[in-house]
Amino acid sequence: MTLEPNGDIQYEVRESIAILTLSPPPGNYLKVPAFVAVSQFREWMSDERLKGLIIRGAGRNFSAGGDLPHLFAAMEEDDSAIETLMAEGGELLSILESLEIPVIAAINRVCFGGALELALACHIRVASENALLAFPEVNGNLMPGMGGTFRLPAVTGLFHSAGMILGGDTMNAAAAKEVGLIDHIAPRDEAFDYAWNLMVKMTGDRPVKVIRNIMSALRNSLCLAPDEALKQESRLFCELAWIESVRRKQEDGDAVGS
Amino acid sequence: MQWAVEERIGWFMIGEPPANAMTMEFFSAFGQWIDRVSADPSLKAVIIVGNGRHFSSGADLQELLENSSENLLLENSLNFARLGRLKIPVIAAIRGVCLGSAFELALWCHFRICAEDAVLGLPEASYNLMPGLGGIGHMTALAGKARGVELILRGATFLPAEAFEMDLVDAVVPKKDLCRLASDFAKALPENMIPGYRKLYIKKYLSKQNVVE
Repeated sequence: MTLEPNGDIQYEVRESIAILTLSPPPGNYLKVPAFVAVSQFREWMSDERLKGLIIRGAGRNFSAGGDLPHLFAAMEEDDSAIETLMAEGGELLSILESLEIPVIAAINRVCFGGALELALACHIRVASENALLAFPEVNGNLMPGMGGTFRLPAVTGLFHSAGMILGGDTMNAAAAKEVGLIDHIAPRDEAFDYAWNLMVKMTGDRPVKVIRNIMSALRNSLCLAPDEALKQESRLFCELAWIESVRRKQEDGDAVGS
Repeated sequence: MQWAVEERIGWFMIGEPPANAMTMEFFSAFGQWIDRVSADPSLKAVIIVGNGRHFSSGADLQELLENSSENLLLENSLNFARLGRLKIPVIAAIRGVCLGSAFELALWCHFRICAEDAVLGLPEASYNLMPGLGGIGHMTALAGKARGVELILRGATFLPAEAFEMDLVDAVVPKKDLCRLASDFAKALPENMIPGYRKLYIKKYLSKQNVVE
């Protein structure tokens, strides 16, 4: 029994925007919680020219979530394996959430369990009008285990989270938009195109440094003590101000020169 | 800036009309003012308002680029934070333009009442800059991470109805009633607010009469 990350995940970069495609279709199951090895993901994200990341599924669906038979089979050999695996999955999502670039989940059709936890770690969720979102773990006497139990209430409030996590309720795109679980509804099966256009609108005209400093300030506001976050924000702002100040002087110089 | 106290309600009026730009001079005056206000036990509430048609156009960009130092900026930031941490209610009464640092100041206030003619937003990214006075944290906390990120990266401006819908302002009122409603609200609020009751205070004490949204 091997417990390797999905070997067939596709990663590409178009116009400084990274695209991670979950596979293999149709289920795009996450074979292990850290569906991409943490080291591999860090390596991809170390490219400082990146302006954004979009996560989508190959084919019709986003992903049906964790591959449970695979996990249980692994536990038969070594029942402590699951703890390490879940911790790695949790770490991957934490890294994703605190990236210095905006991350959009582009969700067509099925987005269940671990895949919904992945989507919740993204900054923005775009779902097609025929998308379905759920935490079905409870039906198998389990629960979300990679941050879903706290990331979901953070966006929907406790009431709707209880229905989804305890009740295993499935939400369609319209209901998910209503409760704040998704941020945009795209036409049928067109979540990726919609997410792409949104990403270009947000980042296309912006220098990489502006995007990264803004996203860093956001991360700091969530994880640092307030005064420390403000201190870092002052530093991040000044970096941009100095660059912009030099750029303007050069521009003025060029204008005088010509 | 001007400062006047009427019936224990302090009115802080920003700057020089028409734009009420936040100059270095403004920030330094704000620092001295917040020292005084923090130590004044007689005040019941503070209302922040712009002089004339606008709240404020935000920081003076040229001046800011020429004088950006981490320490100075942090001092401004921490002074805004002190406003947010005052125990008495602080209300932003917003009309006209309220952009950049000015919107950040409004976001540090405990309540935002907004006239129908207001234009709000954090457009810094459009100038290759970023909000630097706590606005990123406040905006994403109130409007949600997704919407906050989108609006800040796009440098988007928005109207009062949209701001209300995103929880960025607490009420939209006709322009002519703005100061009166802010004052009535300030007088009605308890001096020792419980921060968690913010929504409740708005519901209970913000006169429904004339409130558009």
